[in-house]
Amino acid sequence: MPDNRTTPDYLGLAGEYDPASAEFAELRELLLGEERRKLAELQRRVEAQSKNAEEVAELLPEAIALRSGRDRQLARALAPTMERAISESVRRNPREIATAIFPVLGPAIRKALAETMAALVESINRAVEHTFSFRGLAWRIEAWRTGVPYAQIVLKHALVYRVEQVFLIHAETGLLLVHAAPPRLKVADADLISGMLTAIQDFVGDSFRPQEAGGLRTFSVGELTVMVEQGPQAVLAAVVRGQPPESLLHKLQDRLETVHLEFAAAFADFTGDSAPFAAAQPLLEECLETVLSHQHTRAARSRLAWLRWAIPIALLAGVLAGLGWRSQRRFSAAVARLEAEPGIQLVDARRSGGNWRFRGLKDPLAAEPAVILAGLGADTARLDARWEPYLSLEPGLVVARARQALAAPPTVQLRLAGDTLYATGEAPLAWVARAGALPVLPPGVAVLNARAVVATLPADLAGLRSQIEAELILFEVGSAVVAPGERAALDSLSVSFRALQAGTMSFGHRTDLALYGRTDPTGSDAVNQTLSQSRVEAVSGVLVRAGIPAERLKGIPLGTANPLIGRDSLEQARRNRSVAFQVQVTREPPR
Amino acid sequence: MIQKKVCMVGLFGTGKTSLVQQFVHSIFSVKYHSTVGVKIDRKAVEVDGTSVTLVLWDLAGRDGTSDIPASYLRGSHAILFVVDGTRRESFDQLPELRELARAAAGEVPSLVALNKTDLTDQWILGQREEAALAAQGCHVLKTSAKTGAGVEEAFTWLARETARNGGKPA
Repeated sequence: MPDNRTTPDYLGLAGEYDPASAEFAELRELLLGEERRKLAELQRRVEAQSKNAEEVAELLPEAIALRSGRDRQLARALAPTMERAISESVRRNPREIATAIFPVLGPAIRKALAETMAALVESINRAVEHTFSFRGLAWRIEAWRTGVPYAQIVLKHALVYRVEQVFLIHAETGLLLVHAAPPRLKVADADLISGMLTAIQDFVGDSFRPQEAGGLRTFSVGELTVMVEQGPQAVLAAVVRGQPPESLLHKLQDRLETVHLEFAAAFADFTGDSAPFAAAQPLLEECLETVLSHQHTRAARSRLAWLRWAIPIALLAGVLAGLGWRSQRRFSAAVARLEAEPGIQLVDARRSGGNWRFRGLKDPLAAEPAVILAGLGADTARLDARWEPYLSLEPGLVVARARQALAAPPTVQLRLAGDTLYATGEAPLAWVARAGALPVLPPGVAVLNARAVVATLPADLAGLRSQIEAELILFEVGSAVVAPGERAALDSLSVSFRALQAGTMSFGHRTDLALYGRTDPTGSDAVNQTLSQSRVEAVSGVLVRAGIPAERLKGIPLGTANPLIGRDSLEQARRNRSVAFQVQVTREPPR
Repeated sequence: MIQKKVCMVGLFGTGKTSLVQQFVHSIFSVKYHSTVGVKIDRKAVEVDGTSVTLVLWDLAGRDGTSDIPASYLRGSHAILFVVDGTRRESFDQLPELRELARAAAGEVPSLVALNKTDLTDQWILGQREEAALAAQGCHVLKTSAKTGAGVEEAFTWLARETARNGGKPA
């Protein structure tokens, strides 16, 4: 501050200058008063300034707390400065800030990782579900049944998610900024849809007042799911057909962040012109993906590939084991059946692969093993069997062999009891003769008993017998004299009989002739008995005379017993006054 | 592409939807009014050789202004108020509606359509009311859904104003 001593002597008054004089003071006031006051004020302000800073320092924290509690004015005012300060700090020394925000970053990163893991687990679940689910199996069966490659079946059925449309919407106005859809999908009125989507977002927000900003994130309409990712400036909405995975949401988030970053200026200047956002089109188009479930799960599947094969292999093994067990059972059944079969002796039976190998003995008359096995369902083409011939003493086979050896006609029944073969039924005389004269009996047969077999005569001999048995020698009432008219008949009969006898003899058989003597019913039985005896003797006498050995003739006087039947009593009486004949052929007993 | 969001506001029965129905492209049915409370239509207007697409948010008419969701008005580039010229209360409610719109959308061009001019015998608005509106800085047009009078003009005005203004919500 200049004082009077340094004041230049402008007025030329230095010689008699008296600073204390009232005039001088007045003069000084007149000349410099205004400036002096200003100087004093300035001095006061400078002093106050330093005092105020102290006071403000004292008050500042309280003031900030006070104002922050009242409104957000302070925060708004400070925000730009803070932002600049932070960016400056990061530019100068990033380490400082990194250290400061590390506690915040840690949990954020952990959260992001957890979400990523959740998405991964989701995709693994899906992979497992698609590979091993009933549906997966059903597809495999369908592929196997229809012969269509499995991949095509999957393509047909696979749960596909397809992002069909992506909208980038201005958050505040709901105006459409960019719309992406596949070229073949014609979508009109995307702008209206975008508006409506925004309105619905607002509607949900207004209606339910969700605690956090963000509003509607996902909603589904039938097969379609609309995923909405909300940003401060814009909303990204994707229309998805099928089941969108969690990863799609992350992709949308990522794209939306990129849009915000790259188009910050365009958002700030937005007045309804969507042209500046055209560059975002490729970003949206990247989201248009069609993912088939097998594509979607490819990564997870490679890790589970062994499992994918394990199940079919296990199934195959099961089927093979089942088949093997069945084959084993069939083989055992076949072995048992062969062992039970008469005339087959199994020595060795083996099964290897699908082939059956048998070694053993077989009676030539036994059933054919291949036929038996074929009857059991065995594949005879894979059968390796070798049978050595042998003779079985099984009764069935002994009989069969005997039948073959004896050339027994079907009318003869053979039965083995012990080592005796009994033959019954009837057979030609020749066969009976031959059977009786067999030098060697078939194996297993010690004795052949064919006595019960009725021998049938050959035609010529049978004719002779009929002829003989048709004869009836008639007598007069009460007479036992052969009438002369009957002699010729008896001669003829004797000729026939001799021929018959000769014929049967050649087969080792003897022929006897029974003579049945009868009377009519008149007279006493004793008389009639005697009469019938006499008649037999009379005829026998004629025949012996005709050359028939007497021992071949057997007289059987019947009297009135067993009468012959006639047309009437007279005729009957006449016919019973007679001698009738019966030929008896028997084997000549061994001499 | 220049798009502008225009909200149509008016009380129940003022004929908003009928007014624009035959002039706009619409894919949503009126039932959206009773569900979501808004129905969005589109109108393309040519302004000085530039095509401007007006995205019309046709807000469901309610009985009271408090029912109109402010969130729908947010971000509007212009507001079209519709007044039923035959019903006094629809005119009386206008200041309240305008206040609501201003609070939600800021100072944006606004147009008042005095609708149903075809019902001349029931018309109750006179010079005084129109003058009052003009004094408040409202652009006023008389319209009729029945004859279509004034509708294209209203759209053209809205398109021009929003384009000129830059349409930036205040």
